[in-house]
Amino acid sequence: MVGLKLAYLVPVMFVVSLATFFILEAVPGDPAVTVAGVNADPEIVAEIRAELGLDQPVIERYFDWLGGVMTGDLGRQLLEPRLPVSTVIKAALPVTLELAGLALVMALLAAIPAALVAASRPGNAPDRALSTSAFAVIAIPSFLMALLLIFLFIFNQGLAQALLFAIALIGACYLANRIWRAAKRYPPGSKAPYLIRRVVALVGGLAVATVLILMMPEFPRQGFVRLSADEGVGENLKSAFLPALTLASIEAAVWMRLLRGDLVATLQEDFILASRAKGMPRWRILTHDALRPSLFSLITVLGVSIGRLIGGTVIVEQIFNLPGLGSLMVRSIQAKDVPVVQAAVLLIAAIYVIVNAVVDVAYVYLDPRIRRGRV
Amino acid sequence: MSDVVTFEHFVDEPVPARPRGGVRATLQRHGLAWGLVLLAVGGFGLFWSLDVMTASDGIPKYVLAAVALVCLYVGLDLATSAVFGARFDLGLWLSVAWMVAIIGGAALAGVLPLAESKDVSKALLEPINQRPDLFSSHPLGTDGQGLDILGGILYGARVSLTIGVGAVVIGVAVGMLAGVTAGHRRGKVDGVVSFLTDSMLAFPPLVFLLAVVAAFSPTILTVMLALAVLAIPTFIRLSRANTLVFAQREFVLAARALGERDRSIVWRELVPNVALPVASFGFLLVAAFIVAEASLSFLGLSVARPNPTWGNMIAAGQEDFQTEPHVVFVPGTVLFLTVFTLNRIGEDARRRWDPREAKV
Repeated sequence: MVGLKLAYLVPVMFVVSLATFFILEAVPGDPAVTVAGVNADPEIVAEIRAELGLDQPVIERYFDWLGGVMTGDLGRQLLEPRLPVSTVIKAALPVTLELAGLALVMALLAAIPAALVAASRPGNAPDRALSTSAFAVIAIPSFLMALLLIFLFIFNQGLAQALLFAIALIGACYLANRIWRAAKRYPPGSKAPYLIRRVVALVGGLAVATVLILMMPEFPRQGFVRLSADEGVGENLKSAFLPALTLASIEAAVWMRLLRGDLVATLQEDFILASRAKGMPRWRILTHDALRPSLFSLITVLGVSIGRLIGGTVIVEQIFNLPGLGSLMVRSIQAKDVPVVQAAVLLIAAIYVIVNAVVDVAYVYLDPRIRRGRV
Repeated sequence: MSDVVTFEHFVDEPVPARPRGGVRATLQRHGLAWGLVLLAVGGFGLFWSLDVMTASDGIPKYVLAAVALVCLYVGLDLATSAVFGARFDLGLWLSVAWMVAIIGGAALAGVLPLAESKDVSKALLEPINQRPDLFSSHPLGTDGQGLDILGGILYGARVSLTIGVGAVVIGVAVGMLAGVTAGHRRGKVDGVVSFLTDSMLAFPPLVFLLAVVAAFSPTILTVMLALAVLAIPTFIRLSRANTLVFAQREFVLAARALGERDRSIVWRELVPNVALPVASFGFLLVAAFIVAEASLSFLGLSVARPNPTWGNMIAAGQEDFQTEPHVVFVPGTVLFLTVFTLNRIGEDARRRWDPREAKV
C-alpha cells in the first residue's frame, strides 16, 4: 500500500512538471531578448536563441528540460551573473526551510497547549477567549500580520510589551479567581498545601512572564543572518523570529481550532468516562488519554500546512527582505528569468507532494485501523 | 434532594446551569434598559474619543475608543437578546450588516460624494497623510499622495468582491458538475477526474498564481480565472464526497427504477442536494480569495495603480509605515473585517446546510 502511494507520485509529478513548463512557456517576451538586452542586434539575439535551444520545437525543449531536471542540470540564470540555477536555489532553499521549520515548531508549541486548555472546559472563559482569537487570527492575511508584528515589535516595542503584559495579567487574574473559588469550596485547612502550591505556581509564572517580556530583544526590520555566519545562532534566530511568528500564528490558529474540536469529541467517549470514574485528574486525562486519539486530523492537515508554509514564505520573505526561495521567485518572475522560476516552482511542488505522501504513509502507521486494511 | 442514590443519578442528564451570580445576571435581569444605557454610554464615548480628542493623538484616545466599542457591543447584545430572545446571534447579524455595507458602498461608489481616490494629478491640493477624521471631507484620511482612503476602499471593494465572488461562482459551476458526475458515474470517469484533481491540488496555490500572473498581464479577468482554476479541484472533491453520500439514498434508487436517465438523475436528484453544502463552503472560499487577491496586489502582481485595491493601498502605505500607520491599518482593518465576517457567515451556513457538519 505504501509502495502504491509512492508510485502514484510519479504521474502526479509528471503533470506538475508539464504544467510548470507550459505555463511559463506562455509568458510573453523572448528569453533571448532578456539575455541580450532590449536594444541588442537581431543577429546576436538569434545567436542566443540557438544557444539556449529556443529555436527548437516546444515538445523537444520540454523533454530536454525534463532530462536536465532528472540529471540535476537545471540550466543557467538568464540574467547576470548567469550562475547555474542549482547554485542559486541551493543558496535560497535553506532560508525558506529554516523559516518553515521554525514556524512549524512555534505553531505546534502554541496550538497544542491552547487546544488542551480550551477543550478542558468547553464554553468557559478561556475557551471562548482562545477560540475567538483563533477565529480572528485566521482572518488576518499573512502580509497584514507581518506588518502588524513589525509595527508592534519593531516600531513600538513598548506597546508590544504593554500588550503582552496586559494579557499575562488578565490570565493571572482569571487563575487567581479560580484558586480563590476553589479555596472557598473546601473547609478551612483541608486543601491548604494544594492551594499554596497553586498560588506559588501562579506568582512564579507571572514573574517569569514579566522577566521574559522585559528581556525582549530588538528584532531587525529586515535581512537575514545565516546560520553559517559568524554572528552565531542567536542572531540567526533573532532575524528569523518575526517572519516565522507571522507564518506560525495563522497555522497555529487553524490547528488549535481543529484539535480543540477533535478533543471535545474524544472527551465524549466511553474510555474517558472510565478514566474519570477511576478518579484521574482532568489534566492527566487530557494529556494521556484524549490527546493521542485526537491527533489524527491534525496530522492530516499538517501535510497541507507544510506545503502552505513553504509556498507562503513568498510574501513574508518579500516583506522582511529575506534571501529565500520566495523572494527569488518573485524577483525572477518580474525579470522574466524563466529557468529559475521553473526550477523553483517544480521544487516547491515536489516538496509539497512528497510531504503529503509522507503524511499519508505516517497516517497508515499511526492508526492501527487503517494499517489492518479495515478503515 | 434525598441522600439515597437512585438510578437517575447515573443517567446522563444535562446538568442544570449553576445559578450565576455576578454582573452578567444582574444586567440580564433588565436587559433592555441596561442595553440602552450601555449603548448611550458607548456611543458618547466613541463620539468623544473620535471628535473631541482628535487633537490628542495618543494611547488614551485609542483606549477610550476600544472601551466605548466594548460598551456598544455589550449594550447591543443585551438589548437584542432582551428584544429577540436569548438565541439571537448578534455576531452573525453584525457580520451580515458589514457585508451589506461593503457591497452597498462598492455598488454606490460612483454616486457617493467621495474625494479623489485614483488620479494623483487631481489630488495635488489635498493634504497628504491626513489622519482619519470622521467629520471632514476625508473621513478615513488620505495617503502619501493625498488620495482619499475611503474612496479607495470602496473602489477596492469592487475589485475584491468581483474577483472573489466571480472566481467562486466559476469554480462552483465547473467543479460541482465534474464532481457530481464523477461521484455518480464512478469507474473510469471517476478515476480520471480524481487523478486530475490530485495533480491540481499538488500545485502550491500561491506559486500557481505567481506563474499565471507572470504569463498573462494581471487584470480583474485573469486573476479571477486563475483563482477559479484553484477553486475547481476543491469543489470537485467536496461535491464528489457529498454525491457519494446521496447516491446511496433511496430517492436516487427510486429515480433509477423509474427509468430516469443519468443526466436527469444528476440534475434533478443530485445537484439540488449537493448544492447547499457546496454553497456554504463557497462563502469561506470567497474570503480566502479576497485574501489571495489582496496578497497578489500587495506584491504588485494584481490590478495595479491607478486603480485602488486593498492590497495595493496597503503596499503604498508601507513607505511611511513608521510615521503614518493609518495608511496601512485603515484598509487593513477593512480587509480583516470583510474576511472575518465572510468566515463567520460561512461557518454558520455550514452548520445549517452541510449534512456532515450537522451530524457532529
